[in-house]
Amino acid sequence: MTSDNTAAMEVEATPEQTLAETRRILLEGIRAQRVDISRSIRFVQRGIAAAETHYIYRALRTLSSLRKRLEPSVLADAIAANAASDSAPATRDCLNGMLALLGQQPAPAPRAGACEPEVCLFLGLLVLLHFLDSGRHEHGVELSETLAGVAAGSQRRTVDPVTSRIYFYYARFFEVAGRLSDVRTALLGALQAATLAGMKETKAMLLTLLLRNYLHYKLYDQAERLTAKSGFPEDAPNNLLARYLYYLGYIEAIQLNYSQAQMHLLEATRKAPSNTATAGFQQAAHKVYVIVELLMGNIPERSLFRIRTLRKSLLPYLELTRAVRVGDLTRFQDVVNRYESKFLSDNVLCLIQRLRHNVIKAGIRSINVAYSRISLRDICLKLHLDSEEDAEYIVAKAIRDGVIDATIDHEKGFIQSAEAHNVYETSDPQLAFDKRISFCLGLYNDSVKAMRFPDSSHRKELAYAIEATRRERELAQELENEDYDDESDDDGMDEDL
Amino acid sequence: MPASASMQDIRTRYEQARAALSSPNPNLDAIRPQLSQLKVGLIQLAMETEQVLADPAFLELQRSVIELGAELSIKAGDIVAFERYLAQLEPFYFGGRLGLAESKVMYPLIGLNLLRMLSENLIADFHTMLERIDLEQLQTNPFIVHPVKLEQALMEGSYKKVWQARSEVPTPEYVFFMDILMTTIRNEVASCVEKSYASLPLADAKSVLFFSNLDGLLKFAQEREWTVSPADKRITFKAAAADACAFQGESIMKQTLGYARELERIV
Repeated sequence: MTSDNTAAMEVEATPEQTLAETRRILLEGIRAQRVDISRSIRFVQRGIAAAETHYIYRALRTLSSLRKRLEPSVLADAIAANAASDSAPATRDCLNGMLALLGQQPAPAPRAGACEPEVCLFLGLLVLLHFLDSGRHEHGVELSETLAGVAAGSQRRTVDPVTSRIYFYYARFFEVAGRLSDVRTALLGALQAATLAGMKETKAMLLTLLLRNYLHYKLYDQAERLTAKSGFPEDAPNNLLARYLYYLGYIEAIQLNYSQAQMHLLEATRKAPSNTATAGFQQAAHKVYVIVELLMGNIPERSLFRIRTLRKSLLPYLELTRAVRVGDLTRFQDVVNRYESKFLSDNVLCLIQRLRHNVIKAGIRSINVAYSRISLRDICLKLHLDSEEDAEYIVAKAIRDGVIDATIDHEKGFIQSAEAHNVYETSDPQLAFDKRISFCLGLYNDSVKAMRFPDSSHRKELAYAIEATRRERELAQELENEDYDDESDDDGMDEDL
Repeated sequence: MPASASMQDIRTRYEQARAALSSPNPNLDAIRPQLSQLKVGLIQLAMETEQVLADPAFLELQRSVIELGAELSIKAGDIVAFERYLAQLEPFYFGGRLGLAESKVMYPLIGLNLLRMLSENLIADFHTMLERIDLEQLQTNPFIVHPVKLEQALMEGSYKKVWQARSEVPTPEYVFFMDILMTTIRNEVASCVEKSYASLPLADAKSVLFFSNLDGLLKFAQEREWTVSPADKRITFKAAAADACAFQGESIMKQTLGYARELERIV
């Protein structure tokens, strides 16, 4: 066959050839997938052997790429290969259950040794992903329940990362099925077990899942009590921490604890990676953050609303911010009415309704800055208030709350702004500096704590140290000998003298 | 031990107690033992047969009895008991409502509870409760709208509106809490007035603080340690102590020592 011929064939391929071509690609894909799955499983096994979680994490990292091209037949083969008869009964039943749910006939495969729970859970995770993507939620519910049972049976450190993901999908399947309240008891039980066994990641995951569960049913009291009574593990992964902080911030915002809420929400947005995959989380967190900022009487930075991933979804919030900044009640009401359904779906309408008095405060503050003396009647007109009497009470409250610094003259009916005093005479700047310095010091300490060292390097150092002490000892011995010689010399000299 | 009453029996007794409470001048002391008998009856019934707990008729009766208790405690002015009854009613009112239809007195009682929170200045609880109420009810139900409007007025500082709201209560039960609220408001206004006025004529102070006569005002002024000069007919308020600028040596010392320690660790 000449080279011309092959070129022609490539150009005009017959239908059979295209079919063959696609099949070849498919087979290649399946082979690659098989290789990938078995490599991940080897990573898991190596992790178990070395009792090192970072091998497990490496296997888990392949999940997202495997998820996109998952073939049930390949998966079934992998499961069948691991369903050896000498594994623990719970694990074996679980693997067989997976096969039954997948509904695939696996090719007879050479049997491997006993299947570790980690491997079983990892395969289960893949099956769960397959069910989630193909919309077989009832199967997912069923399987995730068995997997949670297997996960609960084993409390090794290496199970921790896999278990936490299993629980995530467990709760997810029930959420999709609309039965979120059914898992609460199971999650609470698992939380207790994870806390006792010191499984940090699972504990962190379960806490976030429980908070989500409570918030879904608007059980803010329970959620608040849960966070108060249980500590979030310190070295939990950042994405879990970000999620936890978001829920925490939201609960605190509901309970009027705005300064804490602001801090936690801000931290949540910073801890979460800012790429397109996490845009949804960033948007949700920023929405609440903007409102909390407004409730605290701050105006969020304009640049926040310009970020590409946030711009579109934060648009209603930008208009809200504008209305609050100007202190215009009618405009504020207009924005709220216009975007009511949007705010409702974001679950923030009640928070926004609390903003009303902030709008008035902002209005009073700008008036106070602009005028050194103004009559109550004019304030009433400017802020669209109902009566002068109301205006007087409102201004009095603003003075007491420290929004403005002024005095009211009741008889003549005006308010007189106090002289603006120099901030640098107070200890405010010093406090601000202190806050920043302690932040920098905290950052330094955290980064020192977060440093990791490769395992073998300290052994090398140790060997070097042993070598050094040995040499030192030799040196000391030599010196001693020399001393001895010197002494003998001295003696000799004495004799000479 | 007496044989426990049947459900039908308890229901009849409940109807009697309800009728007694609804009469224009109920004898509260007579109803109270009836109520505790009802509660005991319900518990006995629940202990004898477990499955009665899944019976909607039993649950509804239970809810009605608790509601009766809540209303009774409002009439008697027993706030602690009211709070306890409302906590018991929570599973009946929120979430799945245990599969029961909405109770007639549900929103009036929730509204009363909201008002109680306002009068006790539990604003955080108030808002947490609001989040759990349906939005539609929040905007249209007169029993809920009243406390919500009150809270808005309170937060803004439109105390006049709060004062007026007293005459616009949806049911007479609300007046009980409104009266408590008025005392809270008067104290609020007083703390505002202290800060925002240098002095105030007596007549104006009387209207600002919602007093109907001078004696009440004078007594109140005495409690808050305001100086009243009978000659000018004025109240003068204490000037706020200006000690914000004082040098806080101790805290600075502590901070500096803290920095030194941290730096020592770095270097």
